[in-house]
This record gives sequence, C-alpha cells and structure tokens, in this order.
Amino acid sequence: MFLSVGVRFEANVEALNMVETAGNYTKHRRVPYLVEEDGKLKTVYVPALSGESLAHAYQEHLAREALSIGLPVCDDCRRNEFFKSMNKAHLKKKIDPIPEDPKKIEEAIVKACVIEDVGGFLYAEKPPVRRTSAFQVSYALPVKSAALFATSEPQLHARHAQINASSKKGNVSEQMIYYVETGTALYGFTFNLDLDAIGVSAITSGPILEEDEIKARREVALKALFRMLSSSQFGAKLSRFFPVGGITELVITVTEHPFVVTSPIYNNYIDRTQKRLAVLKEFGEEYFFTVADENKVPEEALKEAIDYLREKGAF
Amino acid sequence: MTFFLKVIIRPTGIVALRALPQSKMRTALRYIPPTTLIGAIAYPLLHLKGSRTETFYNKRNFRSAAENVLRLFNWVTVKIEGKPRLYGSLLKINTIYRGKAQSAVTSFPFAVMYGEADYSITAIYLINEEELSKGPYTLRDIERAAWGMVRIGSRESVISVESVKKGKTEIEEMQETRTAYAFQFKDVEVEGKGTLQSVVDWRSGIGDYSKAKHIIMFYPEGIVTVRGNLKVAKCGEEVIILAS
Repeated sequence: MFLSVGVRFEANVEALNMVETAGNYTKHRRVPYLVEEDGKLKTVYVPALSGESLAHAYQEHLAREALSIGLPVCDDCRRNEFFKSMNKAHLKKKIDPIPEDPKKIEEAIVKACVIEDVGGFLYAEKPPVRRTSAFQVSYALPVKSAALFATSEPQLHARHAQINASSKKGNVSEQMIYYVETGTALYGFTFNLDLDAIGVSAITSGPILEEDEIKARREVALKALFRMLSSSQFGAKLSRFFPVGGITELVITVTEHPFVVTSPIYNNYIDRTQKRLAVLKEFGEEYFFTVADENKVPEEALKEAIDYLREKGAF
Repeated sequence: MTFFLKVIIRPTGIVALRALPQSKMRTALRYIPPTTLIGAIAYPLLHLKGSRTETFYNKRNFRSAAENVLRLFNWVTVKIEGKPRLYGSLLKINTIYRGKAQSAVTSFPFAVMYGEADYSITAIYLINEEELSKGPYTLRDIERAAWGMVRIGSRESVISVESVKKGKTEIEEMQETRTAYAFQFKDVEVEGKGTLQSVVDWRSGIGDYSKAKHIIMFYPEGIVTVRGNLKVAKCGEEVIILAS
C-alpha cells in the first residue's frame, strides 16, 4: 500500500528552516520564484522549507513512536543524529565484525533500527550498501497563487549580559543585537510513504522481519506522520518562533501501488488528484481518498486513512 | 509499429539531479537525463510485480534494479516547459576535526521549476515490444507504472503524473524535422535555442556511473529545427528524434 499526503499550512512569523548565517544575521531558506513582467523574467525570492528539514522531523517522531512500543532504534537515531550506518565506525555499533555480504549488512541494520528501515541508509564502504527511504518529502513552498505575498523579514533581537564595571574586560558588550529572518507564507508540501518497503530487503526483495514486526513498524510510521502534522512539531526554532497558524487543508490518498497527490502548491490540487485517481479504476485498483477542509479537521482525515489501512490488513 | 507513452508531469517546485563526477562543491543538472526517466518509471514498475530490489550484486559489481526494465525502452526523452533555474543556498557546516572546530561552506544546488507560469515536464517512452513480449510486464503495467512515478531525481524531487497517453508510431528516417524534445547532439545541425548538457549514456547501464560513457544532449527552448540523417518518431502531434 502507498500513502500520499498533500498538506497546506499557514505559518506566520516562523523561522522553520534557516541557512546562510552571516555574522549576527540568520537568513531564512529561500527559493527563487520566477515572475514575468513586461515580457521579461524577474526573480522574487520566497521563503521555503527543505524536504530534508521535514524528513528530519518525521524521523524524530518515528524514533519516539518506535521506542514507545519497544521497537529497536539504534543509539545514533535515538539521539536524533541520523548518521544511518554511513561508515564502518557507525555500523560496528550494530554488528561486529562487519560481514562482507551486503545482504547480511542490510539485514543487521534493518533489524537493529526502525529509522534506517523506514528512512533508508547508505553504507559508503566496501561493499557499498544502500536502501532508499520508504518515505519521500518535497520542499514546502508558498502556494503559487499567494507566493508573491510570502515574505521573509528580519526581526531585530538583543541579548543582554550583566557586566559590572570591575569585571568589564576588553570590548565585551553589554548588549548584542542579532537578526532572525522570519518567513510568513501559506506553504504546501507532499509526503509519500511506501508501506510495502518496510521490513523488506532492498537486495533480495524478501522480508527481513517477521510479519508481526513489519506490521508494528508500519503502524508507527503512520503514527509518526499523524503526530508530526497534528502537533506542528517540525522545523527549527520552535521554542521562540513557533509559527502562528496551522494546517488549512490536507488531501490523502491510499493506493495499492505508487501514486502521488497533485502538489498543494497548485490551486486545483484537490480536484486534479480526484480526477487522476479515477483513472486507477481502469486498472482495477482500489483506492482511498479524503480531504480535510472547513468540514473536517486534519486529524480526522488522517485517522480515516489509518483506519482504511488497518481494514486492508496493512497492520 | 512501436508503442509510446506520453507522460505529463508536474514538479513540486524542485528537481534535484546531481551532476557527475562530484567535487566538494556539488553541481546540479538543469535538465533531466534519460537514465533518470528510466529510473523514475522503474520503481513503480517493479512495485507492480512485488519486487523491492533496488540493487543487485554480481561479485564486486553492483547495478541498479532499474536495469531490469532498461531494455523495455527503445528511447526516452523529455520536453520541459519553462526554463529551470539552478539555485542552492549557501550552507555553513561546523565540524570538529582532530579536536579543532572547523567551519566550511557548501551548497546543494538543484533545478528550481517554480514560478508564475506553470512548469511542466513531458516525457515520452518508446517501448520495445520485442522485449516486452518476453515478459513479465505488459503494456498495461507500463501504463500504470507511468501513473505511479513519484520522483524525478533524488531527495526532494517529488512529482505527480497528471496525464498518461498511449499511442502507436512508426520510426522513419528523414533529413529535417522540428521538435521540442531533447535529442542526442551528434552529427546534426540545429536552428533554434537550447542547452547542451552532458549526460550518462543510458546504454552503459544504470547505477554505477563511475566508468559510464557520456553523451551530449540538446534540450530545446521551444521548438527547434534539426537537420541531419535523423531517425524520428511521430508521437501524436509531436516529433521526437531517436538517439543514434
């Protein structure tokens, strides 16, 4: 089974994804948005969140959910440091001595860590072993119809230090100003989850784990998504720049084989998704479709999708 | 007669394709090479048959599972509406190396297909019916797989397939044609604007590109006129030029 979710969320005064620190100025991540003006192309930079940032948050939730029901999570992933068995030093924590057979390396990693099972890994040694992530996340970009209203504005802050005259040395300042660029936009992003990939070898195509554990891992993968979206716990600087807003719309599809919702950055994404899904009937494929809008909260839509997957025996 | 599939794709704004070979400062490809298009359709196609294999090993060599479906296609090409723009934020990486804190600056550029105009990618897959008849896939499987393409390239390059049309075409030889689709830039004369890009020759296989051959592809901006000893196929109202 394959789950695809399109999310639109409003975020006012957020600092969810920062790059390019220059001295005391921290810039928000941006991407160019091309506008045509008098026959010429003009670039407007709009705030954005990288898929990596969203993926990191999802894996944090996944680690927490997995541990809560006693599923294995390796030491690195428990600390939310997703090195993912990238070299011998990290792999040795899971299996020592390291086998030469790639199948055995993959098996050891998948058995030892839910995060690397669901989120993939790349062991970049000899032999190299890779496992593509079972979930995919797009960039979160301002929806196109409102992209020109998206802003990234620097906010001035000051840090104060208490210094008395006798302890003042050199040019230590009692005040240090710094700027944080905050973004405001209606964002859209896509999240996909291939449930059939969980607990299954990317080399032999056979199951690595018992059926019960595969189902338990699928369930935590879904719970982690629910938790991430429901709690808005993704992105950086949440302690002081928690975005004002929340999910405004959400569309979910569940299909037997891969299928991706039309990106929510486009205005007609719900209708387009529904029309495209109808084509799958011609292939004799069942599907599930739901939308969270004014009449349904995102949590209800997500629960419907999870219930459908339970009915279908995914977990 | 040869079957073809015309697949219209909507990007989610970002297409991240890494150019090879890599140095410390990564570079990105602006346009989509044939190997990426095959990889994109391979994943849902293998999924249909319950295959989760992505790498297969032969002693010390390893290849991508996409090679299992590579021969199903005589040629794949792409047309892009809207010129992608290469962009990458500067990233500061702080590391501790031998006990000393170090700071480095890098960037992960990608092609941005995001703007007021609607960017769209149209891929055409020419199907090798002889290979298809050997099994295990049917034309219907390939059509369903086309609807199931989830990514073009790496990481955040999520896409959605908006339309899949199938048809039949004849491969003809001619001296001149007009096309909007990418073609191999070899022994041809081109009239019109476009970009030349070196890409991995899909015939070298998919997966390990360390010793792969490269070919030069021409990616037109709009429609260009091409002259030379051309092998072409008419796919609906449009023409594609096959690689030599």
